[in-house]
Amino acid sequence: MGIDRRTFLKGMGTGIAAAVPGSSLLLRKAEAKQIGAGKEFMGVLVDTTRCVGCRSCEIACAEAHGMPVPDIGDTKALDKIRPTSVTQWTVVNRYKTDKGEVFAKKQCMHCNQPGCVSACLVKAMVKREEGAVTWDTNCMGCRYCMVSCPFDIPKFEYNSAVPKIQKCSLCWEKLSKGGKPACVEACPAEALTFGKRRDLIEEANRKIYTESGKYISHIYGEREVGGTGYLYISAVPFEQIGFRTDLGTTSYPELSKGFLYSVPIVLLLWPAFLIGVNTITKRKNEVQHGEGGKR
Amino acid sequence: MEGFTYTDIFATKGVEYLLVISVLLLFIPFWRMVSRPAKAIYEAAESVVPAISEWFRLPEAKLYYHQGHSWAVPESDNVVRVGMDDFAQKLVGKIDGIQFPRVGSQVTQGEKGWSLLTGSKSIDMLSPVDGKILEINESLLSSPRTIGTDPYGQSWLMKVQAPKITSNLKNLLSGSLAVKWMEGVRESLLARMNYKLGAVSQDGGVLVDGIARNLDQEKWDEIAREYFLIS
Amino acid sequence: MNTVSALEEKRQLKDMLAFIRSELKPKGKLLTSFNVISGSIIILGAILILYRLVRGIGAVTNLSQEFPWGIWIGFDVMVGVAFAGGAYVLTFVVYILHSDKYHSIIRATVLNGLLAYVFYAGAIFLDLGRWWNITNPLFGNKFGANSVLFLISWHFLLYMIAEFVEFSPAIAEWLGMRKLRKVLGSLTVGAVVVGIALSTLHQAGLGALFMMAKGKVHPLWYTEFIPVLFFVSSIFAGLSMVIFEGAISHRVFSDKISHEDHAAYDDMLVGLSQGCAVAMFVYFFAQFLILIHGWHWALLNTTMGWWYLTENVGLVAIPCFMFLQGARYKNQMLIRTAAILTMVGIVINRLNISVIAFKWWIPFSERYFPSWMEIVITMAIILTEVWVFRWIVNRMPVFGKPPAWAEEIHS
Repeated sequence: MGIDRRTFLKGMGTGIAAAVPGSSLLLRKAEAKQIGAGKEFMGVLVDTTRCVGCRSCEIACAEAHGMPVPDIGDTKALDKIRPTSVTQWTVVNRYKTDKGEVFAKKQCMHCNQPGCVSACLVKAMVKREEGAVTWDTNCMGCRYCMVSCPFDIPKFEYNSAVPKIQKCSLCWEKLSKGGKPACVEACPAEALTFGKRRDLIEEANRKIYTESGKYISHIYGEREVGGTGYLYISAVPFEQIGFRTDLGTTSYPELSKGFLYSVPIVLLLWPAFLIGVNTITKRKNEVQHGEGGKR
Repeated sequence: MEGFTYTDIFATKGVEYLLVISVLLLFIPFWRMVSRPAKAIYEAAESVVPAISEWFRLPEAKLYYHQGHSWAVPESDNVVRVGMDDFAQKLVGKIDGIQFPRVGSQVTQGEKGWSLLTGSKSIDMLSPVDGKILEINESLLSSPRTIGTDPYGQSWLMKVQAPKITSNLKNLLSGSLAVKWMEGVRESLLARMNYKLGAVSQDGGVLVDGIARNLDQEKWDEIAREYFLIS
Repeated sequence: MNTVSALEEKRQLKDMLAFIRSELKPKGKLLTSFNVISGSIIILGAILILYRLVRGIGAVTNLSQEFPWGIWIGFDVMVGVAFAGGAYVLTFVVYILHSDKYHSIIRATVLNGLLAYVFYAGAIFLDLGRWWNITNPLFGNKFGANSVLFLISWHFLLYMIAEFVEFSPAIAEWLGMRKLRKVLGSLTVGAVVVGIALSTLHQAGLGALFMMAKGKVHPLWYTEFIPVLFFVSSIFAGLSMVIFEGAISHRVFSDKISHEDHAAYDDMLVGLSQGCAVAMFVYFFAQFLILIHGWHWALLNTTMGWWYLTENVGLVAIPCFMFLQGARYKNQMLIRTAAILTMVGIVINRLNISVIAFKWWIPFSERYFPSWMEIVITMAIILTEVWVFRWIVNRMPVFGKPPAWAEEIHS
């Protein structure tokens, strides 16, 4: 007898069942359309020509989220380039460029298509309707989001037995009530502008073209990795102020798409192919053994 | 600002295709090398048993071989003498006895003719001709030790009345065809040989009786059946 | 079938429990040098694991914000899973292609596969910062189904079940449960088919994890074809492990292996060697093709470039050639050496992508090197797996012949 019904059904059934997670990826596209219908992504435009390095944004962020407030008096802090950390969701770094000192604020970029959200297998990292990318406590601590972030933003509390992932949340709790991020409100130099991402791009373009020669003709974050919520304009090339310019314009989740789409295909084709080969080769053996002695 | 570099994808694609084709071509000799034992193994196996051409004596007289290693010689008047060839005997080794069908019963070309009994195993062989069994070689039954000592002469197995002798013989091998066939059998035997065979003789071990038994101590009867075309 | 009365069933159950209790006792000498050394490492590892659970990952590992994944992922999981690939390759050969040649080692290979996944899932568990949420990808309403890691976690679970089903006939034989044995035997082919499909995807999937690490993995290693390369390399990684582990088991459990299986071993070795040679041929030229596709020639003449060549020429092309010659000349020594070189190559390949060629620009002093505690815990996990393997092999029909009543079923 060839493959019996039970094993066939078991094989196909489990194959299809395991294909469900893969195919729910397609479901997400439908959901995304519905979200877009209601709200637009918000963002922050950072004009690095206006930033004076006062670090008020760092203080405001720390105070808003119960983290230790950095010591502004420590002038040595700006001597090194600092990354964000588990106690500092945003930092301002000082760069020496050919146009003098430039300050650049660093924090989560709140990408349109975040790699961390795509990476998170428990939906702890979520892209909110307002555009904020936030972390939640159903996290497993696998740190895949850290591997997947093109900007290396998520920071993990290695020294805690109950570790969290720490990163800028765009003050999302405030946004849903119509507020603004703490850093934007605190900035005295009007270097930070909060608004709809679409409007911010227009504003950035307006600045670039009206104040001709002041800015280089590029909005960082407009297209990088598929577009980010935080947008930057600068007087100097972005490599000089600590930005990676080799990230490309493909969103990071796209990079895994090829593999993810092959999952349902393999789960459908392989069992059929394998059972087929099993049946065919079995028949051959059976014929040999069944009709013994005849030539 | 994104740096734009120009990679001529048309050129790379061309080189890629060329590479794939050459890899596929390279794969053919690679595959052949992987699936066959090296010449040295053949040579080593050959050197183990001296003068391998002596293994299988092909007699001068015109014999007709069945591919299951039995033979037939027409004697007189549709009577055919039937036996098993030297290879069969050397493959199986010492035979304890032979189980024949009754005298007077029919045999069919390509179907079971008789069984070789060795120890606990019984291995069938195919009959080379159709016909009625006239006589079996009684001397083999009384002294089984003589079985296979003179496979083409004194150790003949039975005489068969074969009415369809001419058409039967057309299906059998003789002359240069038989020699070629035997060489093919020898090649296939050498290919199966384990390097262990060489190792055994090198430490002065004794080759056990029966080539098949040296290839596989437990399943040698299956090997024999393979050569005797019993499935 | 026999109908068994209630009283007889009760007696059977009592006998069963007594049997299991007797099987739990250790067999053989307890204080061998191997036991003492490995036992101390296991105990030390257990203490360190407790320490890690209480004080957090940072207390025990050298992981950092720049290097979130270390040897627990890069070695325990990625290398361990690649080495366990022998199970899906051999079950394909034995159950799908109906080859009789490898029947004698199939159970040991499946057992190794099962144990590998169980223990490396354990390694993942330790690496999780918030391990109490480990059930979140499995139960609940917040499935990150778009994540490659989600797929991998589900596949690991399903594959463990499939391997368990494949191995369960041996357990049924051990416990003497005939009806169960019959049922389980009929499930084998289904489990094998599922296992092969799952394996293809999660072997590739472990590579796909790094697709989003573009810009962090060195261009000589980063390619959209990483999943394919991982899949192909898992074939020869698994087969090399079968060769390596077979060489050890052959000696250690020699008394359990039947005479004919000992003889068949040489034939198998040649076959495994052939399989490795072909898979490595394909892999090597796939790497070459990818090199051309990316046109990264200039990078070959850098330190990382030489390292890349060491990995792919020294530890892929050369062992491939050794396997080829070993198969042709039936040279056991050559085949075993090739297997070891291949395994080293796999370790280096997986570590390259996860740790060494990961953020390769970071200077040596700031790079990740595993702490002694990470290494001890890794060794403890591996040794515990060896102990469990030994326990099972000493009691259940893995190497030896199944009981006569099981042979009659022949599924």
